[in-house]
Amino acid sequence: MDGTNTATPLLEVSGLSVGAVTPEGTTPILEDVSFSLRPREILSVIGESGAGKTVLARTLASWLSDPLKVTGGTIRFRGTDLVNDTAAARKLAGREIAYVGGNPAGALDPTMTVGAQLVEKLRAVRPEVSGAAAKQKAIELLDAVRIPSAAQRFHEYPFQYSGGMMQRVMIVDALISDPALLIADNITQPLDVTVAAQILKLMRDLTGRFDTAVLFICSSLPVACDASDEVLVLNKGRVVERQTPEALVASPQHAYTSQLIRELPKLWDTAAAAPKEERGEARPIMSVRGVAKHYTAKNRAQGGTSVVQAVRNVEFDVFQGDNFGLVGESGCGKSSLMRLLTGLERPDAGTILFEGEDIGSARPARIRELRRKFQLVLQDPYGSLPPQKSIGAILEEPLKIHRIGDRKERRERARSVMSEVGLPEALYEELPNGLSAGQRQRLNVARAMTLEPRLLIMDETLSALDQTEQHKMLDLFERLQAQHGFTYIFISHDLAMVRRVCSRIAVMYLGETVEVAPNDRLFFDPGHPYSRALLSAAPTLEERRYDPKDCLLEGEPPSPIDLPPGCAFASRCPQAFDRCRGENPGLTARGGRALAACFLNPRRGEDAPSMTTPETTHA
Amino acid sequence: MFILRFLLRRLAQGALIIFLVSALIFTLLRVVPGDPVRLMAGGMAPEALIEEIATEMGLRDPIPVQFTRYMSGVVQGDLGQSFVRPANGAAVGGASFDDSTRSARAEVWDLIAETAPKTIQLACLAMVFALMIAIPIGVWGGLHPGGWPDRIALYCSSVFVSLPNFWLGIILALLLSVKLKLLPAIGYGGFAWTILPALVLAIEIAPFIIRSLTVSVAQIMGQNFIDIAGVRGLSRNQIIFRHGAKNAAVPLLNLLGVQFSMLLGGVLVVEFIFDYPGLGLLTINAVMQRDFPLIQGIAIVTAAAFVLINIVVDLLSTLIDPRLEY
Repeated sequence: MDGTNTATPLLEVSGLSVGAVTPEGTTPILEDVSFSLRPREILSVIGESGAGKTVLARTLASWLSDPLKVTGGTIRFRGTDLVNDTAAARKLAGREIAYVGGNPAGALDPTMTVGAQLVEKLRAVRPEVSGAAAKQKAIELLDAVRIPSAAQRFHEYPFQYSGGMMQRVMIVDALISDPALLIADNITQPLDVTVAAQILKLMRDLTGRFDTAVLFICSSLPVACDASDEVLVLNKGRVVERQTPEALVASPQHAYTSQLIRELPKLWDTAAAAPKEERGEARPIMSVRGVAKHYTAKNRAQGGTSVVQAVRNVEFDVFQGDNFGLVGESGCGKSSLMRLLTGLERPDAGTILFEGEDIGSARPARIRELRRKFQLVLQDPYGSLPPQKSIGAILEEPLKIHRIGDRKERRERARSVMSEVGLPEALYEELPNGLSAGQRQRLNVARAMTLEPRLLIMDETLSALDQTEQHKMLDLFERLQAQHGFTYIFISHDLAMVRRVCSRIAVMYLGETVEVAPNDRLFFDPGHPYSRALLSAAPTLEERRYDPKDCLLEGEPPSPIDLPPGCAFASRCPQAFDRCRGENPGLTARGGRALAACFLNPRRGEDAPSMTTPETTHA
Repeated sequence: MFILRFLLRRLAQGALIIFLVSALIFTLLRVVPGDPVRLMAGGMAPEALIEEIATEMGLRDPIPVQFTRYMSGVVQGDLGQSFVRPANGAAVGGASFDDSTRSARAEVWDLIAETAPKTIQLACLAMVFALMIAIPIGVWGGLHPGGWPDRIALYCSSVFVSLPNFWLGIILALLLSVKLKLLPAIGYGGFAWTILPALVLAIEIAPFIIRSLTVSVAQIMGQNFIDIAGVRGLSRNQIIFRHGAKNAAVPLLNLLGVQFSMLLGGVLVVEFIFDYPGLGLLTINAVMQRDFPLIQGIAIVTAAAFVLINIVVDLLSTLIDPRLEY
């Protein structure tokens, strides 16, 4: 298994076991884990949730808290035994062994500037560095991770950084002491795909430049394969195999790995037919026209208020019995739009027609009546259920609100939806706190279903679930659709999921729908450079149709407060030209029921590209 | 720039608050029963003379007219004259309605200016004592939530909060002044006279500070950035004192602001027990003598102090935590 590099290992883990030690006994978490890591090597560790990945990362960073304890084995870092020599291990922490976690949001003290904390950290682990030298080094590294105007950003507070920028700051924080080993625990998990791709590229550049070895812990196989020299697979606390990414994908040794590879959703798999658009009725069930919403935010620096344009120029139709996808990165206005679609807020402009009735201008009482027909399922399986109500009561509440049926009928209805979504009837009297994340989302779907709605809006409903559970839920959705004729709107950032289930997809960028196209068309012939950028950054093991190098410039989306006058994507678009910076293209038909907001597409009436997708027959 | 706008806005709001407080106090004092002129002139004075004096002093005018007249003086820095206290400091005369010195009544402003520094001294010392007691106990408890330091903090606060201040004052005076003869107890003759009442006040407010500190320190120490600071290589002292204490300071600061305002305005019982010549004692006497101008003056000055302390607290909080906006 060892490669050609024969340098002495930096890190040697042998027979490592970690367990939760309680008076009742020891529950093993990691068992007999052995591997070694050489300087400059990037080793990925993958495994499903609960496999012990994070415990491994924390053990190596000497950061185990009760009741977790090392119960056997050794960890040698350049010959130093980290398990037994805790004093030496503490000295190495932050200095030679650096750790970056997956939650950059709360990782720094909110009351101190980012710069001051970077300097503080460097001088804590290397007291010989002067304050001025530390500051200079911090600014250099901030620059190296492409924080714009690093010298000024040095003096800003953590809350003034976006999530992606904070993650880069945490990488700087780890690398500032020139560590020999970087433990990266799920660092791309909370980031958008385009930002995550930037971070991964950056990490590779930096390890080359600073001779750092990286232990890259990750739950996504494509990301792990993308990032590393070798992949270590962890299953139920044991190392089941270690191979190079190519070998692992080509010939997985362990059943778990092969299952993981088999279940991996594919973006450009032509063998499996993409969902086709259903056209039961000519009239769309929901029709969104020119919808806009802005919020005013207090501006602290200059005084006064500024306008955040959360949603602008959103246009699409959703047809009965169809699966409609709405994709985009965080901050693109997906959730604001969801609030408008469900009548929680009213748009400032445009109309949202649900079965021909405008939700945006309906009376509150009428919206409440209409809500019977469109229901919402939220992302967070934990926060979206009242913890002190029994499952039965949760399911009967919508019926009570809408005054449907008597006690007995409501009870029967609750039991029947429970069995439909696959929750055992015995759970009727239970509280939801014993349910797993997957069961909780089933309960959420069941609650939305009790009113027999026509349209279900799924706001990132699956993103908190692991791959296997997602699979089961999608099967459930499909079955329910076949039985009840539901129409789904999936709001998601997960392209692979959308590819599998949605027949028509809208791509949002900075509050705007920049492209609305049938499934195959979007994935094989996207009409907007941002869609191409998204596809190029999506984690997948397939051969990419779009090379990240050609699709995306560095940088982050502009703030929705100071929107540039022209196309919002112009600042990151490699193909932008003068017109893009002065004029907003707007959604334009490009044939085959596809629309895109880009000047590069031939105008209607001009020579439209020939269509290969079968949707043309519906047009 | 931010600070200037902040101060302007808050001072304007403060002026409005003080105006409303004045109006409320002024009206209430005049609606409640009890004629101050009767107290000034004495029980033996004839009814006609009372009416004459009252009319002469403007006390029979409609309340809005009286209030306007009073406020126009206040904005010029004139809080009026005491009804009962003579300027020469002589004893308050009950039956001396024909006393020739009665016209030379004391200025309210002078009376307050004389007593307020003593109360401020008392309040500051009490605050210092309270922090000296509460910070070690509270921080220690917060660092070990659920452990025995936490329980000690809880027991200490429970004991302190259940000691009545008049009882504690008497006991401490008995112990430290009468038995041990360490500290003077009654009246005021210098800094040493402040220590005993300050100690009583400190024990009264310490439980609140201990409770607030245990909770906020425990909460801050559970935050992600504290958790991860050790892995980043910071020492435990750096984590506790630079990051933990700083973040826990904001709720503490708010509590101290409220406590300090209360000390300035209402240490009535303690000042009365120790006969400490501060604002509290002045207030008690003013109320007992129906000395309207003095009560109003004290109310306005304490309201202004409340407003200023709150502005200072909010400003300090924003300096500590830049995310806060006021």
